[in-house]
Parts: sequence; structure tokens; C-alpha cells
Amino acid sequence: MSGKNKSAYPFYIIVGTLICLVGLSQLNYTFSYKDFQFRKLDMLSDLRTSSPDKQKLTAVKDSSKLSGLDSTATPAKNNIPNPDNTHDFMSYSGIMEYASPVPGDTIVGMKHFLAVLKELKEGKRRKVRIAYFGDSMIEGDLITGDLRDSLQSFFGGAGVGFVPVTSVVASFRTTITHTFSTDWKDYHYKNAPPASVTLGLSGHTFLPGGNSWVKYSPVKKPRLDKFREVSVLYGPATAETININDKAYTLSGSQPVNRLDLEQDTAQPSLMLRYAGNTAMPFYGVCFESGNGVYVDNYSFRGISGVELGHLSADMVRRMQQERPYDLVVMHYGANVLFRPELTDYSWYQRPMKKVMDSLRQDLPATSFLIIGTADKSYRKTDKYITAPGVGALLKVQHELAADHGTAYWNLFAAMGGEGSMVKWVEGDTVLANKDYTHFNRQGAARVGALLYKAIMNEYRLAQQP
Amino acid sequence: MININKLLSELLYDPKDPVLFNSAFFFYFFAMFLLCYLAVSKSKTARVWVYTVFSLFFFYKACGYYVGLVILSAIVDFNLSRWIHRTPSRTVKKSLLIFSILLNIGLLFYFKYTDFFIGIINDLSAGHISPLHLMLPIGISFYTFENLSYTIDVYRDEIKPVNNFMDYLFFLSFFPKLMMGPIVRAADFIPQISMPYRLNSEDMGKGMYLIMGGLFKKIVISDFIYQNFVQFIFDDPSKHTGLECLIGVYGYALVIYCDFSGYSDMALGIARWTGFKIPANFDSPYQSSSITEFWRRWHISLSSWLRDYLYIPLGGNRKGKVRQFINLALTMLIGGFWHGASWNFIFWGALHGTALAVDKVRIDWLKKKKTVITGWKATLLKVAGVLITFHFVCFCWVFFKASTFHDAWALIHQVMFDFQPGIAMELYNGYTAVFWIIILGFVLHFLPAKAEFSIERLLGRIPVAGSVAIMVTFIWLLVQVKSTQPMMPIYFQF
Repeated sequence: MSGKNKSAYPFYIIVGTLICLVGLSQLNYTFSYKDFQFRKLDMLSDLRTSSPDKQKLTAVKDSSKLSGLDSTATPAKNNIPNPDNTHDFMSYSGIMEYASPVPGDTIVGMKHFLAVLKELKEGKRRKVRIAYFGDSMIEGDLITGDLRDSLQSFFGGAGVGFVPVTSVVASFRTTITHTFSTDWKDYHYKNAPPASVTLGLSGHTFLPGGNSWVKYSPVKKPRLDKFREVSVLYGPATAETININDKAYTLSGSQPVNRLDLEQDTAQPSLMLRYAGNTAMPFYGVCFESGNGVYVDNYSFRGISGVELGHLSADMVRRMQQERPYDLVVMHYGANVLFRPELTDYSWYQRPMKKVMDSLRQDLPATSFLIIGTADKSYRKTDKYITAPGVGALLKVQHELAADHGTAYWNLFAAMGGEGSMVKWVEGDTVLANKDYTHFNRQGAARVGALLYKAIMNEYRLAQQP
Repeated sequence: MININKLLSELLYDPKDPVLFNSAFFFYFFAMFLLCYLAVSKSKTARVWVYTVFSLFFFYKACGYYVGLVILSAIVDFNLSRWIHRTPSRTVKKSLLIFSILLNIGLLFYFKYTDFFIGIINDLSAGHISPLHLMLPIGISFYTFENLSYTIDVYRDEIKPVNNFMDYLFFLSFFPKLMMGPIVRAADFIPQISMPYRLNSEDMGKGMYLIMGGLFKKIVISDFIYQNFVQFIFDDPSKHTGLECLIGVYGYALVIYCDFSGYSDMALGIARWTGFKIPANFDSPYQSSSITEFWRRWHISLSSWLRDYLYIPLGGNRKGKVRQFINLALTMLIGGFWHGASWNFIFWGALHGTALAVDKVRIDWLKKKKTVITGWKATLLKVAGVLITFHFVCFCWVFFKASTFHDAWALIHQVMFDFQPGIAMELYNGYTAVFWIIILGFVLHFLPAKAEFSIERLLGRIPVAGSVAIMVTFIWLLVQVKSTQPMMPIYFQF
């Protein structure tokens, strides 16, 4: 061990390193290896007057590009004013209602839905139902749970509506307790069901095994704490037996969708369904309702873009509408379409999605439709998270789908706060979205549910005015 | 363009940009400090003053005017300890000690736990007390414990109180360990103050190794894995497959270890370069083959503190088996709670406490049996022990890291029931760099200590110019990896 005192060495090393690093910062060099661009050192970045923010300039330019306001006003369709003449679909945070461009078609946005809500409020109607389709954004009853809660507290009704037989997110759903045996065979969009299996509206059809069961229990929350009116939705069956809370029921029916209605035995809070039949028959799910009011059915399917709804058979959709009529269909997609943030051509999405909308419109002629424009999605560009360029392009496609099919359109991106809002939702004091800058967390979903409720109620109140 | 106002504003506390060791600011700060420190290195008093002033400034940069709390607690504990030492009466000694404990714990409780208890009261009685939303003064968990051990040691007559107030303030505010520990004992530290500032090659090599190793652990391993993978998983486990969740947990085991021990290593290295030896805080903890061993190698300064000032005073193992288990559980429960005000941390502590108690039974049983296993059986047993211990620790990390119990169970649910091993290749292609860094992290962790010594020795022999070249290259590489947004170290909230 050298006896020399090296107490000055740390100082020399640190100062020497510092000088070299500052020197390197002054050099203007850039080089890259393969795809990797080496970053320049900048030891003085904290001390510099920041140059005018280039990011902002492009953002402004982008938003002008994003603007959907047409310079030439389109004429009114079927005497209904075109909302595009008064609002910019890219920045308007309310619901826009389009008239069907088909001559003679009287379909307009949410007109039917708003009318039946009014009837419900006036006691002239018992139930109003919403089928809310979406991807992982609404899994576990996110958004829909909050929307349902608000609608039911204003218009009445209690219960979660449709719940599938099994679900990958059953344990995260806080609006119902849902457990099931593992021997259910789940056919769905992604596992190529055999031709003999008709997919249900949820995109799933469940075939029981020898000992299949499913159990639903209410949760301790307002309007969700007990079951009353229960309906089991199932496919074609020839006198198969199921036991519900130890009482036997026979299921029969030749239609693609059949329904068994029963009253919940008040002595038992939960509902236990056991299959006791001989041959496997298709099941879709169980619906929970209670009294007059609004029911929101959550139809979430992870990882889909909405195009998959094209696999639903027209017979099934029509029959479903007879067994469980819907007054409003909400289409909430986008997260899985924006898998490449810088992609701005979504014609590949528009074409099949148009077909989906065409057939749904045909199968559900009286039902109102609401297309929800994608939420903001940010991605990391150099050092910062910014709104993906694809967001604006996708919104344009979604808006066109709405206008071409006479549906209502709600721009969630604008309602969130527009350009850069996802960054605020992720990084704000109250965290509303996940670090993937795409998905909402529970609080964020509640906020979206509240925003949508507000937007719907605005339309409802407008429709009440003479 | 260099802006002088910006330069001045850099010297002020900015809540949005608190100082970290791995920031450019710290580099300038450290250079300035070394210059002044070296200039006065001949005089002990001047050294103490320079170190203390720089430490307090560093503290101010990190948490604003909360720097006053350190000074205040130094004044109080310095005087209370002297009083305890001087007074002959046992009763007065005891009451002064209790007063000091209440004061220190009270301060910690006020800042750290008030909102937690307000939350409990609100939940229990449906009350509506509004939370205080206090900002936690950085380092308070560490210096509170340092104050306590000092006062208790004086009370037990194990050390003599410090005569010079500046020495005590210096000990408490010593900037290398201020924010993230380790918890330093006055008995270890105070005697070093009056030693002359001399460094040999061993000090130089060890210091440089610790500083560079710490930076590497923090930036290349911890931050990189966390930002690019682990944070997404813990954000919403239900949105990820079981395989992702499992890798996320393995990744988090590295993240928390490399973040915390990296910071500790930097503190040790900086201290070493300024003439202070602080005992190591981590000793490759995942190499442990039992949970008892794990706690001897993980956050050593905290576990030894809890042992000396909580477990042993509670009775330790001297009051029978049942009491020993209760003491263990209680110690770990409080240890868990120390990490933060939430049920998750308490549960985490309880899990570890229970495991330690179970492990005690195993150790006692082995002792009684007196059979010594050797050869390949011993190796097999050791490997199995390491694997089981590591997985138990990982299981506990799930609760430690998840923001709610709900999230923790969601993650475990995914691993158990939605594993989806089929996506492995897809996952690998999406996160190639992350997975290789995880592998690198674990490989480095299991390297024998001998490798470390050789690197240290080598670094100690290199001349200054060589050290500068190594440091510059190293930092240039770090910048390539580092994201510009500084990450808050996970242990900051303690």
C-alpha cells in the first residue's frame, strides 16, 4: 500500500472529468451506429436560455391540420342541420348528431335514444338499454360502471345488466363478484370457433363441460347490492337442464338467442348456476336488472379494434334485439388501432369498419348509435411524450363513419382536453391514466364516464327544449 | 447561450427538480465542495464547517426550508443527550430519553403518518377530517433514526455525548447519506471526524468503484428496466399477461435493489473519497439461502438498527419462544411501516416477520438435530434455499410495490391464472434490451466478491489521468442510456 496521501485525487478526477465533459458538450458531433443515434452530451443544458420551443410550433401546425371545419358548409341532410357547420369535430367536446345520408332515412344520431329516455322519465316506458362495445379501455366495467351509476341515479334502474359466463377480468370487476369453473369452453373472435358455434353479442359463446358452474354475487354498492330480475341468455337447446340456486330449469329454444327469466330468490343473495344437461349447449351470459330504468351492458373484448364485430351473424344480432332490445349502441374503439403512433393512414381500418357499421345499422334499424372518437394517446418522441400523429387521423376516420351512418359522434380526445391531454392525465397531481400513455386507471375511467354522462345529458336537455 | 439568472436560479430549491446524485448539478456541486474541502483540509474545525455548510445547502436543494428541521433536531438531541449524560438520577435520565423518543417519533409521525391515520379515522367513523397533504421532508426517516440511536446509546452509557455542537450537526446532515441513507451510527462516525484527511490507493479504488458501480446500478439497470418495462406492469397488472407480470416482478426485484443499493454505494463512495468509512448497506442480498440471511444482507443499516433498538429492547430471544416470535413479528411490522404510510408496507413487513419466525423454527430444529449435510446435498440445498428465498422476497415485493392490495392480488391472479407462456417470443422481441439488462443485472449480482476486489485494486492503482479517462467514457455511456427526465428514486418517499 502506497503511503502517499492521495487526498487531492478525488478533486483532480472530478474537475478533470468535468472539464472533459464540458469540452465534449461544446463539440458539435453526431454519429450513429446501425439504428442507434448517439446522444450529444450537454453538461450546461440547465444553464441555457431555452430556445423557442420547437415542439410547440409543430403542435400548433398540427392542430390546424387536425381541424375538421370545412370551409364549404355541407347542406343539411333530410332537413337536419349538419353539426359540422357549427362545430369542429376535431375540437368540439360535446356530442354531434348526424342525419343518415340515405335519402328517406329518418335516422338521426341519438334521437331515438333521447326520445325513449324522455318516455322513461315520464313513466311511459319501463326500460332503456345501452350496449356499450369497447376494448380493454372498458374492461372490468371501467367507464361503463360509472356511466351506468350516473344514468341509473337520474333515470332509475338497478343492476349491472349483461355479464358473460366467464371473463378474464372477472376478478377486477368491482360492480359484481363473478367466479366460475375452469371447464367452460370459451369460443370467441380470436380462437376460430367452429362453424356450428354462433358467437354472442359479446363476441363470446360458452359451452359447458361436465361440471361447469358460474356464480354471481352482488357487491356492497348502491344499486348493485341485490339481484332481482335475472335473465339467462343461451343459444339453441333441446330440453337441457340447469340448476340455479339448486332449483332445476329446463332450457329449450331453437333461436340463436333464447332467454330464461326468473326472479331472484330473496333468501339467497348470490346466484349459482350449474349445468346439468347432457350435451354441451351454448351460453352467452346472465343479465341483472331491477325495476324501471336505464341498463348499460358492458361488452368489452381485449385487443380488438371494432372490426371484429363483423363476425357477428345478422340472425343472432336481430334475435338478440328481440330478446334484449337496445336503444343505443356505443362503439368505443381506437386504442388498438393506434398501435403505430406515427401512422396516419387509416383507410385499412375505415373499409372493414364501414361494413361493420352498415350491417349493424341494418340489423338494428331503430337503434341509435354513438361512435366515440379515440382517446388521446401519447408516445415518446425523442425526450418527450407527445400526442401521436395517428390520433387526429383516426378521429377523422371515426368522424366520417359517424357522419356516413347517421350516428352520434363524441370526441373523447377533445373532451379529455385535446392535444397533449394524455400527458397531463398521466403526469398530473391526480394520476388518471397509466404509464403506457394509453389506458385510463380507475379514476381516469370514472372521469371519462362522468364526461360522457355530461355530454349525453346535455343532448337530453337540448332535446327537451321545445 | 449561458444565462446568469438561470445559473443563480439553479442554486435555489425547485420542488419540480430536486437534486439527485446522478444529475449534472451534483457534479458541479461536488467539484466546488472538494475544492473548498481540500483548501481547509489541514484544520479539523474548518473541515467540519465546510462539510456542514455544503451539506445543509444540498439538503436545501433537495427539500427547501425543511432543512430547518435537521438543524432543529440536531439542537434538541445534542442538548438532550448531554443532559442525559450529566444528570446522575436514573429517573431524570429515563424521562429525558422518553421525551427525546417522543419528540423524534412525533415529528416523523406528524409528517409521514398523519394522513394515513386521518384516512383510517375517516374510514372507520365515516368522518370527514381533511388530510394535511404535507410534503415529506426528505431524509426524515433516516435522521430520526440516527438521532434516536445516538440518544439511546448515550443513555445506555455506550458512548459519550459529543462536546461540539458543530460535530453533531455535521454527523446528522452529512450529505452523502442524507437522502437515502444508510442510517449511520454516531459511534461509528463521530470518531472519524477528528482524523486527518488522508486517502491511500485503497480508499481511491474503493471510492471510485462504489461511485461508478452505484451510478451503473442506478442508471443502466434500475432506471432503464423500470422506465421501459416494470412501471407499465405495476401500473395496471390486470392489463398484462401472467408471464409479463412475473418478469415484471423479477425486474422489480432488480430495480429496487439496484436503485437503493446504487444510491447507498454512491453515498459510501463519496464518503470514502472525503475520508469517511461507512459500513456497507447491502451484501448481494439475493444470494441469501434463507430469509434470516436475507435480512443480514439487505438494508443492513436498517435491520441492525431495528435489531439493536427495537427487537432486543423488546426482549429479543431472551423471554421464551412465543415472545421471540411476537418480537420478530412486531419488529418487522414496524420495519414495514417505516417504509411508508400504507397497509401495503405493513403487510409486507408482516409477511417478512412471519417468514423470519418460521425460519427460526427451522434453524432451531437443525441445531437440535446436529446433522451436518455436506457435499452435493449441501450444494443442492443451498441452491434450493436461494431460489425459495428469492421467490419469497419477490412475492413480498409485489405488495411492497403495488399501489393497492387490489393491484397486488390482480398481479398474482395474472401469474396464477392467465400466464400465457405462448407470448414469450413476442415479448422478447418487444423488450429485447430490457430482458438482456435484467439478465446482466442478475449475472453481476451473483459474481463472487473476489471480482469486486480486483477491480477496486486496479482502480486504486491507476494514475489520475487514467481515472479521468475512465470516468469520462463511463459518463458518456451513461448519458446514452439515461433518459433526460430524472427519475425519483423509489426510496425517496421514505
